Amino acid sequence: MPEHVLVLINVSPGATLRDADREALGAARALAAARGVPVACALIGHEVAAAAAEAAERGADRVLTADAPSLVPFAGERFLPVAADAIRVAEARIVLVPRGPDLLEFVPRLAARLDGASVIGVVAVRAEEGDVTAVATAFGGAAHAVYRFRAPGPRVLALAPAVAEAPERVAGRTVTPEPLTVSDVLPRVEVVTPAAPLEGPRLEDARVVVSGGRGLGAADRYALIRELAAALGGMAGASRAIVDDAWASPAQQVGLTGKIVTPDLYFAIGISGASQHMAGCSNARCLVAVNTDPQAPIFRYAHYGIVGDCLEVLPELIRIAGQSGEPKA
Amino acid sequence: MHIVVCAKRVLDPDGVNGYALWGRLKVDDSGRAFDTGGTVAQIINAYDEQALEAALRMRDAGAECRITVVTVGGEDAGDVLKRCVAMGADHAIHVVDSEARADGFRVAAIVAALVRDLGDVDLVLCGRQGSDYDQGTLPGALAEALDAALVTMAAGVAVDGDTAIQVRRAVPNGEEVVRAQLPAVVSVSNELGQARYPSSRGMLAARRTPPERRAASDLLAGREPGGVELVQLVVPDVQGHCEIVDGADAAAKAAGLMARLRERGLLHA
Ligand SMILES: Cc1cc2nc3c(=O)[nH]c(=O)nc-3n(C[C@H](O)[C@H](O)[C@H](O)COP(=O)(O)OP(=O)(O)OC[C@H]3O[C@@H](n4cnc5c(N)ncnc54)[C@H](O)[C@@H]3O)c2cc1C
Ligand SMILES: Nc1ncnc2c1ncn2[C@@H]1O[C@H](COP(=O)(O)O)[C@@H](O)[C@H]1O
Repeated sequence: MPEHVLVLINVSPGATLRDADREALGAARALAAARGVPVACALIGHEVAAAAAEAAERGADRVLTADAPSLVPFAGERFLPVAADAIRVAEARIVLVPRGPDLLEFVPRLAARLDGASVIGVVAVRAEEGDVTAVATAFGGAAHAVYRFRAPGPRVLALAPAVAEAPERVAGRTVTPEPLTVSDVLPRVEVVTPAAPLEGPRLEDARVVVSGGRGLGAADRYALIRELAAALGGMAGASRAIVDDAWASPAQQVGLTGKIVTPDLYFAIGISGASQHMAGCSNARCLVAVNTDPQAPIFRYAHYGIVGDCLEVLPELIRIAGQSGEPKA
Repeated sequence: MHIVVCAKRVLDPDGVNGYALWGRLKVDDSGRAFDTGGTVAQIINAYDEQALEAALRMRDAGAECRITVVTVGGEDAGDVLKRCVAMGADHAIHVVDSEARADGFRVAAIVAALVRDLGDVDLVLCGRQGSDYDQGTLPGALAEALDAALVTMAAGVAVDGDTAIQVRRAVPNGEEVVRAQLPAVVSVSNELGQARYPSSRGMLAARRTPPERRAASDLLAGREPGGVELVQLVVPDVQGHCEIVDGADAAAKAAGLMARLRERGLLHA
């Protein structure tokens, strides 16, 4: 196989592609065009047929699949050899990885294994002189860092949200999947007590997110955030400051070291707008801020703002949202 | 058990935030550093302080262990080691390398060479990522170089017999517990909780025991490993067009806001 730009996707059993996967395919198509090479997409997991079919419809020229029960749940040491095989088969110099919770488990290690290098949080990739440079967020998003590669091996790039548009889906475009090698791995890390299964909707998928911060002033007032979220048919998020203070649970943290959300509508209430928080929500279609301080940095990011005390504004928002009928799904 | 803790010196993120929040963050003439007139301190990466805390808690829990803290960096990067010894680390090593800036792959190769040289290391604890470049490269790259087990996002670490550890990990839907064979590389996340303050006795000890200095070039013995090179820092523009919705009172402001959101189709009528 000649060189391909490779997209490496970890697939949950039976799932289709996620938005992040589709964006990565879009980015891969642009890079592949610039390099004059085709796109390959590796789908690694169990029951990957639906995802493989969609990858073909969204422009993968070759589809590589690893379909085995042992690949679920995700474990870095099982994923790694399969991913390395995909890179070998695709003769990939550029490997794109969609954002996801397990990046640190495999991205740098995969690059190191193949004498390559990785960059995480990539907001732009520039094709240059036969190579690429990667622009990635740094200092929690306060800056962007531009990297050149010095390693001889593949460049593994884990993408930030909204790096590219999802390619149009061309119904009926098919590519015959080629199987990857799933090798036996003697595990050195074993799960003793799994996390409770995730129930209900995920913050990452919510169309409306209402987040509260230290401006709420006390733990019990987080209930107002939940109420507004519920009234708008959305989900409640939080800044790290109040997660650290246990006003909200870690699963609700939005930001660099929390969840990255991309809702249509994001409320930042009593949140200052530190870059590390914005790293998790700045791709919202519409961002609303409520803050007592008219100089608060959050207003530099917001589309609409209310300067005022959230304890006065929240009950009013809840009241109006409650009257306005069913929110948009 | 011999535990190595990796500690990185970073620009104080709160200091950087202070500039960024008000739109005053600028890049200097080199294009690769911020122009903050030296007002932002260089401190230990907070996650690394927590990695050391994880090691100290293992000792507090009765594990017999020796704790060596390591930093790789230019001439003055050794600063951060004092605090680590004051917190309770037994030994500190500063590997002097002026090339390593922002290249976790190079640092991983250097730390791997040091770990091999030390000979008896069972466990390496790192932070989940540097708060400077937000990469989290080193733990994975180091685990690969050492052919060791890798566990990321630790919220707690405990010994489990002579050849394994148990790690509580922060995962998207809560926590899980894993058992990892030694040797292992574990990266620690903020879920571990607050690191202890140095005791006054510790501070005295730190003053008496300066870090051991090693040269990266000796450890690398002619190799020049490198993964990435930071060529430029850029401060991105932010949106900056906020419409402030005003009104006589909170009710009027809230009503105005909701009307605009409804107009834009973000709410149902
Ligand atoms: C390595 C690293 C990673 C990080 N990761 C994250 C992350 O993932 N997510 C995250 O959120 N943070 C993260 N942070 C922390 C981040 O830098 C900020 O400290 C944090 O986001 C601040 O939270 P806050 O806005 O709730 O609190 P503050 O900064 O204290 O802001 C409170 C705001 O509330 C306003 N206010 C006060 N009273 C009222 C009132 N009555 N009504 C309305 N407004 C009011 C104030 O004007 C202020 O703007 C990280 C930091 C570091 C160093
Ligand atoms: N120069 C360094 N010296 C010592 N430890 C480091 C260095 N760089 C990175 N580390 C360790 O690796 C972790 C991840 O850093 P990074 O790969 O730079 O994001 C840090 O939290 C440290 O524990």
